[in-house]
Amino acid sequence: MSFDVPDDLRYLDTHEWVRATDATAEIGISDFAQDELGDVVFVELPDEGAELTAGEDFGVVESIKAVSDVYAPVSGTVTAVNDRLRDEPELLNEDPYGDGWMLEIDLTDESELDDLLSPADYRDQIE
Amino acid sequence: MSERETERGSPYAPQTAAETTAMLDAVGAADLESLFDVPESVAFDGEFGIDARSERETKREVARLLRRNADLTEFLGRGHYDHYVPSVVDDLAGRSEFLTSYTQYQPEVAQGFLQALFEYQSMLVELTGLGVANCSMYDDATALGEAATLSQRVRSVSGDRILVPGHLREGKRAVLANYADGPGLSVESYPMDDGAVDVDALADAIDSETAMVYAETPTVRGVVEENLGAIGDLADDHDALFCLGSDPVALSLLERPVDVGADVVVGDAGSLGTGTAYGFGLGMFVTREEYLRQVPGRLVGASEDAADRRAYTLTLQTREQHIRKERATSNICTNQAWVALRTAMHAAWLGPDGLVDLANECVTRPRDLAARLDEVVGLQAPVHDRHHFREFVARTDQPASAVAGDLLDEGYAVSEVGEHLIQVCATETTAEAEDGLVAALSEVAK
Amino acid sequence: MKYDQARWTDDGDDRYEPLLSEKANETVEIEDAALPDDLTRDSLTLPDPAEPELARHYTRLSQMNYGVESGPFPLGSCTMKYNPSFTEDVAARPDAAIHPDRPDATVQGTLALCHRLQDYLGRIGGMDAVTLQPPAGAAGEFTGIEIAKAYHEANDEERREVVIPDSAHGTNFATAAMAGYEVVELPSDDDGRVDTEALAAAVGDDTAALMLTNPNTLGLFERDIEEIADLVHDAGGLLYYDGANLNALLGRARPGDMGFDVMHYNVHKTFATPHGGGGPGAGPVGVREGLARFLPNPHVRERDGNYEYYEPEASIGKVHGFYGNWPVLVKAFAYIARLGDAGLRDASAKAVLNANYLAEQIDYDVPFGPFHHEFVASAGEQDAADAAKRMLDYGVHPPTTKWPEIVDEALMTEPTEGETKRSLDQLAAAFDAVAAEDDETLAAAPSRPAARRIDQVSAARNPRLSWQALDDA
Repeated sequence: MSFDVPDDLRYLDTHEWVRATDATAEIGISDFAQDELGDVVFVELPDEGAELTAGEDFGVVESIKAVSDVYAPVSGTVTAVNDRLRDEPELLNEDPYGDGWMLEIDLTDESELDDLLSPADYRDQIE
Repeated sequence: MSERETERGSPYAPQTAAETTAMLDAVGAADLESLFDVPESVAFDGEFGIDARSERETKREVARLLRRNADLTEFLGRGHYDHYVPSVVDDLAGRSEFLTSYTQYQPEVAQGFLQALFEYQSMLVELTGLGVANCSMYDDATALGEAATLSQRVRSVSGDRILVPGHLREGKRAVLANYADGPGLSVESYPMDDGAVDVDALADAIDSETAMVYAETPTVRGVVEENLGAIGDLADDHDALFCLGSDPVALSLLERPVDVGADVVVGDAGSLGTGTAYGFGLGMFVTREEYLRQVPGRLVGASEDAADRRAYTLTLQTREQHIRKERATSNICTNQAWVALRTAMHAAWLGPDGLVDLANECVTRPRDLAARLDEVVGLQAPVHDRHHFREFVARTDQPASAVAGDLLDEGYAVSEVGEHLIQVCATETTAEAEDGLVAALSEVAK
Repeated sequence: MKYDQARWTDDGDDRYEPLLSEKANETVEIEDAALPDDLTRDSLTLPDPAEPELARHYTRLSQMNYGVESGPFPLGSCTMKYNPSFTEDVAARPDAAIHPDRPDATVQGTLALCHRLQDYLGRIGGMDAVTLQPPAGAAGEFTGIEIAKAYHEANDEERREVVIPDSAHGTNFATAAMAGYEVVELPSDDDGRVDTEALAAAVGDDTAALMLTNPNTLGLFERDIEEIADLVHDAGGLLYYDGANLNALLGRARPGDMGFDVMHYNVHKTFATPHGGGGPGAGPVGVREGLARFLPNPHVRERDGNYEYYEPEASIGKVHGFYGNWPVLVKAFAYIARLGDAGLRDASAKAVLNANYLAEQIDYDVPFGPFHHEFVASAGEQDAADAAKRMLDYGVHPPTTKWPEIVDEALMTEPTEGETKRSLDQLAAAFDAVAAEDDETLAAAPSRPAARRIDQVSAARNPRLSWQALDDA
């Protein structure tokens, strides 16, 4: 089975993705991650203004029989939260790189992006 | 099965000798003992020294033991109550499809129990006005303990002080203390005023370090709490949870918990459906929808099946120990589901009219009995100038221990709650015994 | 008028019973109450069925439910053995239905029975003292871990960790956390047993206890149990026995003899008290000599032929508001007294025989052995959860699925001693029929029970936990 790994994103080995634009970034979980989880039924995310630290968990994704922590690929301050996930957690399954985005943050240190996996490396990891 | 045969093995292991041999052959084992892979150094080759008995003999043995319990008329309450349970509850709850079933992990073959638990949850939602009831905790004390740990997990609340009323059953407080120990909560009492919450004293005691305020109505002394709204406001002002202790009979008549600002309602729901059972109970746990993800224990929810019909299932199980392990909301697994089934049956049998009538009787009966006892030389009742539910405290001129002890000799049990205080509980089940109690007290109290 | 009196038939869609609220809801206004208006609610809306309606409602619900008396119930780790009817009669005796606040002198019968049961359980587990207070297995675990905590505190030691094998019951982890401990998860070796090297590395000055189930969740006996006990004891920790699998060992091995310091018994598993659709159970806790002084308050003792409650000198306090699940304890006492030594030994022998025989008969692979009262088969290429749903169509309750995770697509199967050879042959035929079926058939199952496959995702995404919350209410 092949999973979608968009070329314009960077990845964490725990299956989170980052879409960086200048000093801000969007964060979500990968197509592979949503498939592993199965039907997502609940997403717990931090509030706007929360501080994320690279490598530390910031939220929880629940399916029927599993609970998974979600880790911050990079450090930053949360500037927007995808509130639609509250009532429509299925967006994580249906469109993990689009409507299923989780957070938008202001990056603390753009150089942290260099520590993340390239699409090719991430593809190698999940195959 | 003859009585001799029970010596040979379990009467509930039905394999014949020939079948056992055939089965051993099939698995290639020489004998039963060779199936056990136990190192000799830890093998047990002794005897327990427990004699097998026939069914009839076992019943006689239990009867012989329990006959040593005195035949008393009980005017006892303080958290465990006797209400008349109709025969139909025993009959229906005793159906083996209910009684011998397991937790509903295969909901397609457990629709009956799931629907009954869903109905139980719904009844508690109506009684409390709060949105989420779980399908049981062990008893009211452990439900209170779980409420305290919930207060620790709820984000809108901080601090580690759990404030409880000065009049609180000692056993309940002891259980709460054990639940509070793990997360490092401290349990502190606030004072009572004539049997009810001293609201001014509570206002002094509460602060920003208070995670939860607990109050009861009726209290362990049977007092109907009159200041619930003020207590709820105090808790709210300090961002503490307000946990209210009550029971389904009282809630049929008293103020709705949601209307006084309660965040969690706990108590013994077994006051319906069980009768006296030596403290065997049913922990009621109801809370606001916003705390749904922090609720301990099992929840039954509605869904649809593949044919698009309404169906029921255990849900939101990621909160529970079998999935979330050390991060679960509680370690509870086996609960009191069958007791909840009985409670729902009993509540439905009574209906809202019956429940309200019963609750009114729980007010008038102790009121009338207290008035009669107040006429008895050597007694003043009730001690607290409050409304009561099921029970009240009376003052004795004689030492309470002597009065209670002498009453036992007359065949009546009341609680001794102070040097000169006794507590009397009166429900519909004691109706015919009240004259006798008054007469006996007239003899022993003077 | 629309026909809505449901009947349960096998030939149509009409397998449905309306909610009580849909049948007979009624609102009562609270007027002329015995209390002032400001202390009462305004109204109460609840179902008000007449007794005949009530009887039909619950009878029909019972028909949509599967119990031990409905058919085979080989649910692994749950010991769904037959619950003897007579124990219900015994527990329903009027002289058992008494109030917990009576003075000791007036409850000598109850105390005598409790004392006898404490004694029986102590002998069966090889323990020196037993409390009956914990109302369930997980409550027993909490009691046991609180005892371990009190023990260490009494020795002026602060130990912060509880070690638990990764294959253990979820309650073990949750219990340790509830008691304020950090959980150290112990990886299992290749056959699911404790890896003694990993254990040696995991225990130390911070170890309060190791929690262990024996036989483990694969049904395998921990053959290194003495070494395991030594490792834990040498580090100053206590060894806790999770009694979930005790039905495998009655009369063959005792936790106390294996080196366990504290244990709980699941009377609703080993001693045949009914599970009641999820409870009530009871989880008595046994302790070895020296730990009795930490037992919950109060404890029963005998003095000159009379019985009394007392508070153990260093008691951990209470884990139940009163004395535990008394009616359940009466049933457990009656079961043990009925079976005696020979019956208890035989129960385990036949439970182990049945598991071995069933494993031998089925087509699914059983990767680990020698197992005891239960085995874990693998559904192989099939989805174990789907296979389980299909078994429902064959009229049997399926095994526990997808756990323990050490076996792919696990079918954890525990037939108990209560099945005849003929019943096991039938059960095996059901397993084999399912094993031979294709994925589509399994995914479409079940079709026979009262409900078809239930949508778990919908239930969780859109929680409807009361009739008030139903869209169509």
